Order: sequence, then structure tokens, then C-alpha cells
Amino acid sequence: MMRRRVLRVLRCALLAATLAGLVWPAPVLAATGATLASLGSPSSGDLVEHPAQWDGKVIDFQGEAVGEVMRRGDSAWLHLNDDAYSRKAADDIALAGYNAGQAVWAPSELAAQVKICGDYSHRGDLVHVVGIFHAACPEHGGDMDIHAVKLEVVLPGSPIARAVSGVRAAAAAALSLVAAGLWLLWRRRHRARGRAA
Amino acid sequence: MIIQPRRDDHLVIGKYTGKVIVGVGLLMAVPLALSLVLGEWSVALDFVISSAACFICGFGLQLLCRTERDLGWGHALVVAAGSWLIATLLGALPHSLSGHEGSYLDAVFDVMSGYTTTGLYLIQDLDHVSNGLNMWRHLLTYAGGQGIIVVALTFLFRGSPGAYRLYVGEGKDERLLPNVVQTARAIWIVSLGYLAVGGLVLAAMGWALGQTPLRAFLHGVWVFMGAWSTGGFAPQSYNTMWFHSLAYELVTVAIFVAGSFNFALHWAVWSGNRKELRRNLETVSFAVTLSLTVLVATVALSRLGIYPDAVNLFRKAFYQLASGHTTTGFSTIYSRAFVVQWGPLAMLATTVAMAIGASACSTAGGIKGMRVGVITAGFVADIRRMISPESALIRQRVHHLRDILVDSPLLRSALTVTVAYLTLYGLVAIVGAACGYDFLQAAFEGVSAASNTGLSCGVTAPAMPVVLKVVYTLAMWLGRLEFMSVLALAGYAYAMVRGR
Repeated sequence: MMRRRVLRVLRCALLAATLAGLVWPAPVLAATGATLASLGSPSSGDLVEHPAQWDGKVIDFQGEAVGEVMRRGDSAWLHLNDDAYSRKAADDIALAGYNAGQAVWAPSELAAQVKICGDYSHRGDLVHVVGIFHAACPEHGGDMDIHAVKLEVVLPGSPIARAVSGVRAAAAAALSLVAAGLWLLWRRRHRARGRAA
Repeated sequence: MIIQPRRDDHLVIGKYTGKVIVGVGLLMAVPLALSLVLGEWSVALDFVISSAACFICGFGLQLLCRTERDLGWGHALVVAAGSWLIATLLGALPHSLSGHEGSYLDAVFDVMSGYTTTGLYLIQDLDHVSNGLNMWRHLLTYAGGQGIIVVALTFLFRGSPGAYRLYVGEGKDERLLPNVVQTARAIWIVSLGYLAVGGLVLAAMGWALGQTPLRAFLHGVWVFMGAWSTGGFAPQSYNTMWFHSLAYELVTVAIFVAGSFNFALHWAVWSGNRKELRRNLETVSFAVTLSLTVLVATVALSRLGIYPDAVNLFRKAFYQLASGHTTTGFSTIYSRAFVVQWGPLAMLATTVAMAIGASACSTAGGIKGMRVGVITAGFVADIRRMISPESALIRQRVHHLRDILVDSPLLRSALTVTVAYLTLYGLVAIVGAACGYDFLQAAFEGVSAASNTGLSCGVTAPAMPVVLKVVYTLAMWLGRLEFMSVLALAGYAYAMVRGR
């Protein structure tokens, strides 16, 4: 009788574990270190336009790290832009529209691989992540983000050459001289008027 | 008969416009210095060229237009609107020279958006913009928030009746101190005091959140400028979502709400009259309308089930709505999320919040809480009259620094400007819809531009039709100067052509 009860409890536990396994969310699988199979490589535009379609799914995402890596304890925030600029060479500064990208929350040891972030003087590292997309992350105040479990730098960043134009330097000098001349003239008249008053 | 302006009118307008333009050139010294310190040589040259252009125009006008005549009311209105226009055209030079704008019109759009503390932008590849240009973008909104006339009054004017008229022409009418130049300086003292404290607090928070010290400092100063001026510009394309921090969001809310309050209210509080904060009509009106619009948005979002729990839902709803209502334009969601995730009802609540706006004589835009409060008080008075005996004398008062009787002239003035704003909102929305955008999105974006808010649902983009860029630029200008100055400038131009 006792043995039958134990077997029934074990059967129920097994059934519950199986059901739980079926509905267990991907983040927990990730946390336990199980292999993650990516369900696609959406662009940031796809994620913003169709958040519900990708919510909670494991995705591949690649983009230029911009700004800085912001470390917060064991994890860090980085922002990956997958816009047209991320696919350009460092010396190509032609315009190609707005920036577009996604915020990525990654373990600090993974984020530490990112050495150069994009700014005025640099094209940032091109970073590839695999992670779970959240349309409204419960852990981060409802922000749209990707929790990365895998991160690699595909292409290291590099400095952007910003040459000083000789024509502009000459224009600056010429305009400054004219401005200085007008200021001196204005000041002289201003003082003369002050004395007359 | 329309009287054609005389030579003397042109001279007085030219002289004072020149003074304001010199003020714009002086402002450029700040980004120029930062560019030099950080070794951004090419950017520094752009600012030398631009500031020299301002000085040539400003001193040139003053030399050409020599007169001892003081400004009349008509002149002051024309100077206010005209200087904003010329300051925008010249202020767009650094943007255009940076190579981050698709056209000069885009640069003008961005600068008008900055001066008017709107926050919509067409600048491309913002995440690779120089520190010098980012300083200029934020300084534009900081100076524009106080008023570029106020900048000029502070440094370049002597107190005169004309100076006060110029101050009023910029959409302000509170005289904190007997002399208008002292008032302008008081506005700057208050604003700089807050900048020192708020900028340092945000910088310290940015550092604690993982930014490098230099970036934390610059971002702290810029985000403060964007918040205090209710401008909404931010140094990264992610806007304030960049920081992923509740504490940072709370501090920015405190700053932009403070920035959206009337300068006279700040002065009263600084002078020890703390009771004014909870008695003032504008703060009461703001609290009521913000609560109502947040409630509507929260209900709409909870029905859609986008956010995982009530706390996160409220956090998102409150931040976007407070930002919209104060006409700031900071956002912790993607622009398209308004359409894709928030849906029509929450978008409508945000649109209403933006349309109302914040306080008069502040950095904020929109109809203003004062007018909403006065109209509501007038409505309440009418209801009281209806239900009272005919012999009863009903007098409705509102409190703004002192008790004010809600009489017909006050009501008429509030209603006139409110109708003007509603007409502007409607026209801009219709133009957006005519350009092929969904009407709700066109209305959201149009109200955002005309109320100088800057929240976007994705309509504003470098590829949007030229006509819409022009209409939004004009709407920002009209909305910021509250119509009168711009209409006076148009009348002046008409009189020059058609007058006798």
C-alpha cells in the first residue's frame, strides 16, 4: 500500500517534470547551460516592428558596439547598432539614415571582449550575440532588450580618420578677420557714442 | 490702410536683431572650447566659421542700422521672431558643416527644434557625432529654453522699455524683478544654479552606472540641459533608454518637471514662498491633467498586456506621459513602440498630454496649464451662475502668485491662444495625413512638433517629405513664440510689400 503511494507520487512528479520541461522558458535553459538553438537572425527593425513575434525567443544578433560598455556588477549593458553604418569601413562616413540597434545585457566576462565602442573617433567592434529577446523585459523595467548567453567580437573596431580641411581652415581665418574688423569698428563707434552722451 | 514701415523702423529692428545674433555667436564659444580641449580640430573649425558668420551678421547689422530710437511693441515682436529665424539659419551652420545632415533644411529643422526645445531631430548617425556638436545641440535647447532674447538681454542690453517689449515678444511676460535685464539675469541664475547641481548629480549617477568619468560628466550636463529645458535631445540615439536605470529616470523626471514650471514660481520658491508650489493654478492643473492622462494610458496598456507587471507598466506609462506633458520628449521606449505596442488609446492620451503642455513663462510648450486652468475656472463659474439665483454675484478666482479674478478679458485671452494652438495642431496633422501618414500618427507627430514636445512615433525621419519638414519647422517656431511675434513678422513683411 505504502509502496503504491510512493510510486503514485513518483509518477506525478515525473509527469509534472515533463510538463514543466515543455513549458520551461528559454532563459532558464540558458541559465542551466543547455545548448540554445537560435530561431532566427532578425534585424533591430524586425524586433521593433514585430516584438510579439520574437518575444522570449533565442535569436542571433550582430551589430557595432557604440558608446560604452556599462558594467553593473556581474553583468553589463552594451548597445549594438545593426544599421548601415555598422557594415561600413571606418573611413566611409557617408550618411545612411538614423542609427538603429538593440540593447544587450550580457555577463561581464563576455562583455569584456568588447574593446572599442563606436563614437566620433571610432568605428566600434562588430559584435555577434546569441541571446533571448524580450519585448518588455521583466528584469529591466519593461525595456526591450536581448539577454546574451554567447558573445563574440566578429571584427575589431578601428579609429575613424577625421582630416582637417585646408579650405575650411582658410575660410575660418578669413571670416574671423572680417568679424574682428567689424567688431573693432563697432566698438570704436560704440565708445564714441558713449563719450558724446 | 496699411502703413509701410519707414527707414527708421528698419533701422531699429536691424540694430536689435544684430544684438541677438551676436549673442548666438558668443554661445558658440562653449562648443568651440570643448572641441579644442578634446582635440576635435575639424569640429573646432566649423564653430570658428559659424561664430564668425554670426559676428559678421550681428556687428554688420548694428553698424548699418545706427539709431537711438527705442523699440516699440511692433518692433519688439518683429525682432523676437526675426532673430529666432536668423539665429536658426546661422545656428544651422555647425550642423551642416558636420556632415551629419542630409540637407541644409534638415540642419535648420534640427536647430529650430533645439531652440524651441522640441527635440525632434533629423541628424543622422547620432551615435558617431562629435562631442563639440553634441554640446552645441544641447546648448541650443538650454539657451532656447530660457529664450535666446533672454540670453542677449542678460549680456548685451541695457534696461529700457524696449528691452521689456522684446522679452514679451519671446512669449514671456513674468517680470520677476523691477528691471527686465535683472529679470533675465535672475532666470539665468536660477537655471545655472540648477545646472550645476543637476548636472553633477546626473554625472555621478552615470559614473555609478558604468560610464567613464568624462562621458558621465558630458552626458550628465547634456541630459540635464535636455531635461531642464524640456528639450528632449539626448547624446545617443537610444535617448534616455541608454541608461537602463530607474534612479536615472526618476532624477530626469524631477528635472524636467521642475523645468516645466513657471520661472516666477521658481523665483517665489527660491524667495521662501514654498506654499506657492501647491497653491499655484499651473501646478494644480498639471497634477490633474497628468494624473488623468497617465490613468488612461495605464488602463489602455494594461488591456494590451505588453508589460509583464504593474510596476513596469506604470514606470513606462508615467515616464512617457510625464515627458510628453512637460513637452520634454525624453523616451525610454523606441519611437515605433507607440504605434506597434502602445496602440491608439495610449497614443491618444499621450497626444492630449503633449497638446496641453506645461506652464507659461517656462521652457515648456503647448497650450499651457495656466490657460487650461483659467478656461476650466471660467466654465465652473458659468455652471455656478446657472444653478445660483439670478441676484447672486458669482466671482471665480484662480491663484497664480496672487489671487486673480477670472473675468472676460482673461478668459478671452486664454481662449484665443487655445483656439490658435488647436487650429495649428489640426492643420499640421492634416498636412501629415495628406503626405500619406496614418491620421493618428500624423496627429501625434504634428502635436508633438507644434507643442514643442519631441516625442516621435516614427513619422519624423530624414526621408520624410520636404513639405512636412518645412511645416514642422514653422509649427515649432509658431508654437514656441505663441503666434503673436511670428504673425507680427508676417504682417511687417506684408506691409513692406503692400503698405503705403
